[in-house]
Amino acid sequence: MTDTPFKSLLPGVLGRIDSLIGRAEVVILAAGVLLMAFNTIGNVIGRFIFQYSFFFTEEVNRILIIMITFAGIGYAARHGRHIRMSAIYDALPIRSRKGMMILITIITALTMFALCYFSVGYILKVAHSGRVLPALQIPVYWIFLWVPIGFAVTGIQYALTTVKNIIEKDVYLSTHIVEGYDDDEIEI
Amino acid sequence: MAIKITAIMIVLLLAGLPMMVPLLLAAFYGFYELFDGISKMEFMVQQMLAGIRPASLIAVPMFILAAEIMTRGQSANRLIDMVMKFIGHVKGGLAVSAAAACTLFGAVSGSTQATVVAVGSPLRPRMLKAGYKDSFILALIINASDIAFLIPPSIGMIIYGVISSTSISELFIAGVGPGLLLMVLFSAYSMIYATIHNVPTEPKASWSERIEAARKAIWPLGFPVIIVGGIYGGVFSPTEAAAACVFYALVLEMVVFRSLKPTDIYKIAKSTGLITSVVFILVGAGAAFSWVISFAQIPQAILGSIGILEMGPKAVLGVISVSFFVGCMFVDPIVVILVLVPVFAPVVKAVALDPVLVGTIITLQVAIGSATPPFGCDIFTAIAVFKRPYMDVIRGIFPFTLILIAVSVALIFFPQIALFARDLAFR
Repeated sequence: MTDTPFKSLLPGVLGRIDSLIGRAEVVILAAGVLLMAFNTIGNVIGRFIFQYSFFFTEEVNRILIIMITFAGIGYAARHGRHIRMSAIYDALPIRSRKGMMILITIITALTMFALCYFSVGYILKVAHSGRVLPALQIPVYWIFLWVPIGFAVTGIQYALTTVKNIIEKDVYLSTHIVEGYDDDEIEI
Repeated sequence: MAIKITAIMIVLLLAGLPMMVPLLLAAFYGFYELFDGISKMEFMVQQMLAGIRPASLIAVPMFILAAEIMTRGQSANRLIDMVMKFIGHVKGGLAVSAAAACTLFGAVSGSTQATVVAVGSPLRPRMLKAGYKDSFILALIINASDIAFLIPPSIGMIIYGVISSTSISELFIAGVGPGLLLMVLFSAYSMIYATIHNVPTEPKASWSERIEAARKAIWPLGFPVIIVGGIYGGVFSPTEAAAACVFYALVLEMVVFRSLKPTDIYKIAKSTGLITSVVFILVGAGAAFSWVISFAQIPQAILGSIGILEMGPKAVLGVISVSFFVGCMFVDPIVVILVLVPVFAPVVKAVALDPVLVGTIITLQVAIGSATPPFGCDIFTAIAVFKRPYMDVIRGIFPFTLILIAVSVALIFFPQIALFARDLAFR
């Protein structure tokens, strides 16, 4: 993935907020993975050298994996990196592909918005129950706050891609990735 | 309801939606039907979050991170180099080296895509120069990379282990036997191919060159020791082994080889995070989906209709094999595992099959399916990495598929191929 600065489709303040979210996603992904690695490595070292496991390792990893997952789905939507079975789609002529892509992005955006709504309902339920993480004593619903944000950001990205596909001539996988764009650097 | 859920999923998958969406919408529909409307939808979110909760899943990002560090640093190349120096000179030596390198690389990384890139990129130009046909090279790289699925660590096995509550350590150890068997058979085919097509043999490396290459690879050879040795010896859980690998990879590439800088690590962490997220959202969506189909007893309905309970255990393994094989010819292996494991869970239990054997067989099928036309995902990795047209990539695949099918049949009739090492280590 090239680090081409992400430029938002949205005008003015909204655009700036969108770009900020985009940058935050990158930081959360990288920092989240590194923290998870240090946390897990620390626990292994603690267990083998000091015969002492950190009491919080599992809970911290649980918080981090939720952060990474829900920051990442937005990032993946922004850069057209969600896995798809595109073999049939790729065989279609460009006009049908464009129509299909508009349909795909609309359905995906709606699914994400619905999940955002339902996850807010879930968080309210958890908050109401008053559960806390046993080791860290943090209210459990705090760690889920990323979930609706992630779904909303992903939904917005797909909705913007729909708009982009309607107003532009090419077929866009995300707001700034044109399909068939040949990246020289192979990413795995 | 079973038919509608299946139809929603297949149509949306083939239409090219991001793979999480067909799973989510099929689950949506299931919750909607089961609970008469959207009143219980927050329960679906709860199932999704429960799906990504198991602590053993942390091994997935850790193994991906370790493999990314090694591939971008020098570890991967040093391992490949050593293999070449030792067996490059036999008949079909470059091809045999490729198969061996894929196996060795599989022992440090859990992903076939990473293996295609790490082994295929340096070896393909050399093999082309030596006179191998491109169709053979591409087929060999795609299929040998699938050995990485079976050799621990294996992302697919971790996910199977978590959703079927099977010991990941035992799965890892059980994958070694079939993985090595495949390597031997692929090597044998490569030798036969080189003899028939009269591919000239490579010059033999001198012992001083070999010792030099082995010296350079001695550090990276610590990875299989940590993973297989650590788990086999009961020292590490898979997650701990994964963390130890990350630590070891960081020390090697940053301190010993000095090939990566902190900014490189930051980039690697970002791309690891992205891959993790794309996999985990699927795992979450898969968990919601699997809850719905289990609750509605859809597996029982589907499997009952083909009369699976009247079949013997071997026939059941046969049905499982074919289903996973066909599934992976069309979609990503992780999605196939997420969808089909819960479908077969009741019958595996009813026929009292060993879940570790089932997991190994599934992993093998996933590997075969991913390399099989029309849509096996490794084919598309190869198209992207080597920039060759589809037909070129698939032309030479058939003999490899035959070998893989032979091994699958062998595994059903001689489960000891997989279970021997497991029984030795854990029973």
